[in-house]
Parts: sequence; structure tokens; C-alpha cells
Amino acid sequence: MWKKVYEWLDERLGLNDMYTNLLDRPEPTGNWWNTLGSASLFLFVMQGLTGIFLTVYYTPSPDHAYDSVQYIMEGVAFGWLIRGIHHWGATLMVLVVFIHMLRVFFTASFKYPRELTWLIGIGLLLMTLGMGFTGYLLPWNQRAFWATTVGTQIAGSVPFVGEFILKALRGGPDLSALTLQRFFSAHIWMLPALLAGLIGIHLYLIIKHGESHFPSKED
Amino acid sequence: MNDETKKKINARYERELNKGERFWPDSIFKDLIVSLGIFVLLVLLATFIGVSPEPKADPSDTSYIPRPEWYFLFIFKFLAIYGQIPVLGKIEWIATVLIPGIAVGILTLVPFIEKRPDRHYGKRILPISIMIIMVVGAVLLTMTSEVPTVSADGSKFLGYLQSISGLIIPTVAMTALILMSFVFKGTSTRTMIWTTVLASVSMILVSGVVLALHPRSVVEETEVATTLVDQITAGQDLYSIHCTECHGDDGSVAVIEGVEGLEGEEITPINSKDVLYTITDSAMYEVIAYGRPNAGMTPFGKAYGGELSKSEIDYMTIFMRYMWDDRFEAPEIKPLFPALADGEVPSYDVHIQPVAKRYCVSCHRAGKENNNYLMTSYEEILTTGDNAEKNIIKGDESSYLLQVIQEHAIMDPENPEEELIGVMPPSKALKPDVVDVFVRWIMNGMPQTAEEAAALFVLPTPEATAAP
Ligand code: HEC
Ligand code: HEC
Ligand code: HEM
Repeated sequence: MWKKVYEWLDERLGLNDMYTNLLDRPEPTGNWWNTLGSASLFLFVMQGLTGIFLTVYYTPSPDHAYDSVQYIMEGVAFGWLIRGIHHWGATLMVLVVFIHMLRVFFTASFKYPRELTWLIGIGLLLMTLGMGFTGYLLPWNQRAFWATTVGTQIAGSVPFVGEFILKALRGGPDLSALTLQRFFSAHIWMLPALLAGLIGIHLYLIIKHGESHFPSKED
Repeated sequence: MNDETKKKINARYERELNKGERFWPDSIFKDLIVSLGIFVLLVLLATFIGVSPEPKADPSDTSYIPRPEWYFLFIFKFLAIYGQIPVLGKIEWIATVLIPGIAVGILTLVPFIEKRPDRHYGKRILPISIMIIMVVGAVLLTMTSEVPTVSADGSKFLGYLQSISGLIIPTVAMTALILMSFVFKGTSTRTMIWTTVLASVSMILVSGVVLALHPRSVVEETEVATTLVDQITAGQDLYSIHCTECHGDDGSVAVIEGVEGLEGEEITPINSKDVLYTITDSAMYEVIAYGRPNAGMTPFGKAYGGELSKSEIDYMTIFMRYMWDDRFEAPEIKPLFPALADGEVPSYDVHIQPVAKRYCVSCHRAGKENNNYLMTSYEEILTTGDNAEKNIIKGDESSYLLQVIQEHAIMDPENPEEELIGVMPPSKALKPDVVDVFVRWIMNGMPQTAEEAAALFVLPTPEATAAP
């Protein structure tokens, strides 16, 4: 019975092809440091899942943001767990992505033919930091408010266009409801969409070229 | 890169593949183990450390010291150190835009800067050394981010040390490494490795000295009440301290008594429907933050020169709503202190401190008329006051404090017609259980902690416990 279902699906989806092309590939003998990329991916997925749950109760307005987060922590069943995982996941993701980059650098895995994988990777690193920066404001507490005030000020110090960047980030001269709305939108739509797209290309390139082998004296 | 090298690289990779493993299940297996470990770690962190509570954003509180997410701390520290450089340090955008821009640019272009096909560490000493110095520098900047470049006493010594470890050593070391690779080509790899090790170790040592010399500052934590019950309690304490002298402890005062300048002033009781139904939460915030300067109520919000933060004013509003406004149903509130059993001795931490905060601190704190008797800490309660030696006498019922809270005013010995100390609190007598707490505490030697109090527990006599 299951065999029949599988064969039917295989005919339309090409499951066997997928298996041979994606999973049953040869790889150089692996190393535990090579798990950091998939760990980054896992953290990205976790952030996505917990983040989706958080948006159920979170309200991006200066009047309600703080209280809605408070409600998630105190009123919602397991809200504290979801927020806790999202909070620590953010920290861990930055750490893991950074160490992943260091390992790629130290094993020189960015060299021919994987230069593009590295370029996309830098994009991923910057986006991850951007997620951290925009997410930090959302709880609308003292820490968030003042860190973002200073953070956007730094962006405002760019010569000539600083003023414009500052206003574009804040939605005006000061931090306001608009800023929160903007950061929220960036945090849940723009940056994750970009990240997901870039991760897709990153993974395609990795499958295309295969995982690099650990360099030995020969290389 | 010419085609021949490419072919060689591909052939070499082919050989590695042949003696390698399968993606499924070998590699995936390791990936899954690590991901599972991370998941467990996340759940543990969320459960046992959690997210530390913070007060609500208060745009008017400019005294707040901004702290970014930890992974941006090194940039902040770098900016502070850079700002010390004469002349150049004044051009902010060099540090905020140019240097980070160049750093990210170089990082992005790494595959095109380092074009040689060599992959083994031995053939990549220069890039690896630079990366190590950068990473060590960033980690150290993050660790020393709490240390200001100008100390509280105006000394710039720590600031100079930080420039040495965060700016000078890394710059010198990297310049030396680059010179060794491109100018003095004869330099052995040994020398380069030693340069890196030496630079890193000295950076770590100097930062260690900075951390050791930096006086641990006690971070002033604002109390954050997270549950509704905590918020109501916090609000009630704040209300008792700041508002009771004019509005009374239950908001019912209609004619102000005993407040200089407002004697006999008629006001609307703030626990009445008139006030509670007409003033919304945000208007209430405004009333408390801005006060009613024309009517005699001073501003309380930090923005207007008061001392209360946004969160604190919110707690008071929550307290007033849940305790006075009949449209809100109050949750069960914890008693101010746990009831005392027979023979149990109260302690400062558990009993006296909350009682004093609720009933006495509104007058007995700095800046109020109170015979210089302050009650905000254990030491103050025991040692301050014009009559300090008579206020609290261990085991003595005639201690002034015990007399005045039991409605016996103390008469001036030199002038028996005059009151030396009136009854306390002046407006409304304490409930018997609160008086009992003070009596037992002073009669049994004023223990500070719950443990000290427990050691003083007097076993009730058998008759007292015998069931009737
Ligand atoms: C120095 C005396 C004083 C203190 C202390 C004081 N108030 Fe008032 N308060 C007044 C006076 C006077 C008025 C004006 C009453 C009126 O116009 O009916 C007032 C008005 C108010 C009103 C508005 C009543 C209305 O009808 O508009 C509220 C609410 C209020 N106070 C709350 C508080 C709170 C909460 C605190 C503690 C943070 C506080 N007050 C501290 C004297 C004081
Ligand atoms: C409304 C303001 C107010 C409150 C509330 C208050 N006090 Fe006082 N207290 C005073 C003033 C004013 C004096 C100065 C003596 C006087 O004028 O009677 C004083 C003096 C005292 C003294 C004598 C200090 C000395 O060294 O001369 C004691 C003891 C004392 N208070 C205890 C208490 C205790 C205990 C409470 C809380 C249960 C309390 N007070 C609450 C206003 C207050
Ligand atoms: C959201 C962030 C990222 C995700 C989800 C991710 C994911 C992955 C995965 C799954 C792999 C294969 C397994 C491994 O080698 O660990 C990989 C490899 C790689 N990554 Fe990333 N990555 C991220 C960020 C980065 C960054 C910041 C860089 C560097 C700038 C980078 C550069 C590379 C390179 C060059 C490879 C190929 C390594 C090799 O073949 O040995 N990646 N990445």
C-alpha cells in the first residue's frame, strides 16, 4: 500500500531523483566544524517559527508594544518559553554565523570555486546583524529605545547623506511610532524575505560545488 | 587563475570525494546532533536565565545610559577609543563609517584579495594572523566595553591603556606582518607566528590590567514589576511614599491637612468616580508627571523635574485603578508581610522594610520634616534621628518609636507642656498587627535578616499551644 503511494508520488515529484541528487551525494570526510552552517540554518528556522508565534500577540505601537510583550511573558501559556527561545536564539545565531564564517576563512573554503558562496555569506552575516538591530527595538523598553536612538545616530553621521539615512530609518527626526512600525516591518518581512532568498542561493551553491575538503599539506 | 590550476583543484577534490563519506546519512547525522544540542541549550537558557525585565521606554529620561546588543558593543568601544585620538578623533565619520566600511569591504572581497589557490595554514600565515588579531581585538573590546575611557575621577589612564590594547598594538602588529610578507620577504614563518602570538598576548594582558583596575560599579537596577499583582504592590508603595501626605493613604482626602502651603485646601478625593471615571490612563499619566502646579501638586515625572520614571507612574495608575475603580476587579494581593506565628520574631528584611515603606518613608526620607529620622534602610532606622539613642532601645517598651506608634505622644522633658514627638503616623493610627510587628521586633533585638530572626524564635509555652 505505502509502496504504491510512494511510487505514485515519485512519478509526479521525482522523489528518487531528489534522493540521488540531494541526499545520496559523496562528500569529503566531514569535520564537526562543518556543522555550523546547518546550525545557522536551524537557528534561522527556529527564529522564524518562534517569531511567527510572537506576532500573534505583539502589537507594534509605542502605547501597546511594552504591554503586549509583558502579556506574552505573563499571560500567554508558554509565552515566556517562546520569547526566551527567540531572545537567546538571536544571540546564538549571531555567534554561530560568525564562527561559521571564521571556520570558512581558516580552512580557506572561500577559494575557487566557492567565491560566490562567500559573497552571499557576507550578505547573510549583515542581514543577521540587521535582524538583531531591528528586533532589539521591538519590546519598546528603556534599553531598546536608547540603544536604537544611539544606533540610528551613528548611521546619521555618514557625510552628506547621513541626515537622509537618519530620517529614513526613524521615519522623522526623532524615534517615534513610525520608527517602531518601520523596524517591525523590516524585522518580520523585508529582512527575513531577503535572508530566506540568500540562504536559498547559498545552499544551491553548496550543493552545486559540494562541501570543500579539509586542507592538508598538499593544498 | 588559469585553467590548469582549476583542473588541478577539481581533480584533487575528486580524489577527496572518493575516499570521503555520504551526505546522507553521515554528514546529516552530525548536523542533526548539533542542531538538537542547540535546541536543548535554547530551552535551558529560556527556562533558567530567561529574558531580564526592563522598564518601559521613557523618551524623557535622557539620563539612561544606552547599551546596545552585546554583539555591537565592540563597535561602541572602538568609537570611544577612537574619539581619544587628537584631531582625527574629532572627525566622527571616519570611525563610524569609513573604518567599518573598509573592514566590511575587505571581508567581502577576501576571495578576490587572497587569490592564490593555497589552502593549507602553513601557506596562509598572513591572512590567518590578521584575522586572529582582529578577532582577539573585537573580543577584548567587547569585554572591556563597560570601562569608560575617562574614569569617574577624571583620570584618563584607563583610556590610554585601552587605546594601547585596542588600537596601537593591533595596528603595529598588522603593519609589521604586512611588511614582513611584502617588503622583508626573507622573514621566516616562525617570526610571523611569534609576532601574532606576542601581539595577542600583550593585548590580552593590557586589557586584563584595564579590567582589574576598573572599580566594579554597582549597576543601579530599577525594579521592574512583571505580574499584575507585583505592579499593584509597587504602585501602592510608590503611592504611599509620594502621594499620601496630600491625598491620604486611600485617596479619600477632601480637605488637605498638615501640608505647608496647602492647609485647608479643598480637593476632589482622587478615589472618587468623579476623578477615576473622567481621567483616562494617559491623562492620569499626564496629571502625575506634570502635576497640578497651579493647584499645588508638584510634578513627579522625570521629564518635568520629578523623580519618577514612566514605568513607576504606570504602576501607580494600575494601583489606583484596581484598588479604587469599581470597573476593575482586583486580583488577590499578597499581604504586606507574612502573618506572625506565636513567638515568631519579625526581621527587617521581611517585615519592617515593607511596613516602613508603606507607612513611614513618605515622611521619613531625605528632604522632609521628620526630626532628621530617616527610615529607608536598616542602618538608618537604628541610628538616625534627633533622639536616636531613645528611639529604639532593644527590649524596652518605652522606646520612643513604640510609644508614638501606639498613640502616646512624647512630651518634651524640659518643657512638659510641649510635644517633642507627635503620634506616628500623624494622620491615622496603624493597625494592631502592624504595631505588633514593631513591638516584637524591638523587644527581641532588631534582627536584620530572616535567618537571624529565626534564630530568635521563642518556643511558645506548652499552655499556649495546648488545644482548647
Ligand atoms: C503637595 C500635595 C500633593 C501631592 C504630594 C500630590 N498631589 Fe495630587 N493633587 C494635589 C492638589 C492640590 C490637586 C488639585 C485637586 C483639585 O483640583 O481638585 C491634585 C490633583 C490630583 C489629581 C487630579 C484630580 C482632578 O480632579 O483632576 C490626581 C489624579 C492626583 N492629584 C494624583 C496624585 C498622585 C498619584 C500623587 C502621588 C504621585 C499626588 N497626586 C501627589 C496635591 C497633591
Ligand atoms: C505624615 C508624615 C509622617 C509619617 C507618615 C510618619 N512620620 Fe514619624 N515623624 C514625622 C515628623 C514631622 C516628625 C518630627 C516630630 C514631630 O513633629 O512630631 C517625626 C518623628 C518621628 C520619630 C522621632 C524621631 C526623632 O529622632 O525625634 C519617630 C520615632 C517616628 N517619627 C516614627 C515614625 C514611624 C515608625 C512611622 C511609620 C509607622 C512614621 N514615623 C510615619 C512625620 C511622619
Ligand atoms: C544565515 C547565515 C548562514 C547560513 C544559514 C549558512 C548556511 C551554510 C550551510 C548549511 C553550509 C554547508 C555546511 C557548512 O559548511 O557548514 C554553508 C557553507 C558555506 N558558507 Fe554559509 N551560511 C551562513 C552564513 C555564511 C557566512 C556569513 C559566510 C561567510 C562570509 C558563509 C560562507 C560559506 C561558505 C564559503 C561555505 C562553503 C564552505 C565549504 O564548502 O566548505 N556562510 N553555509
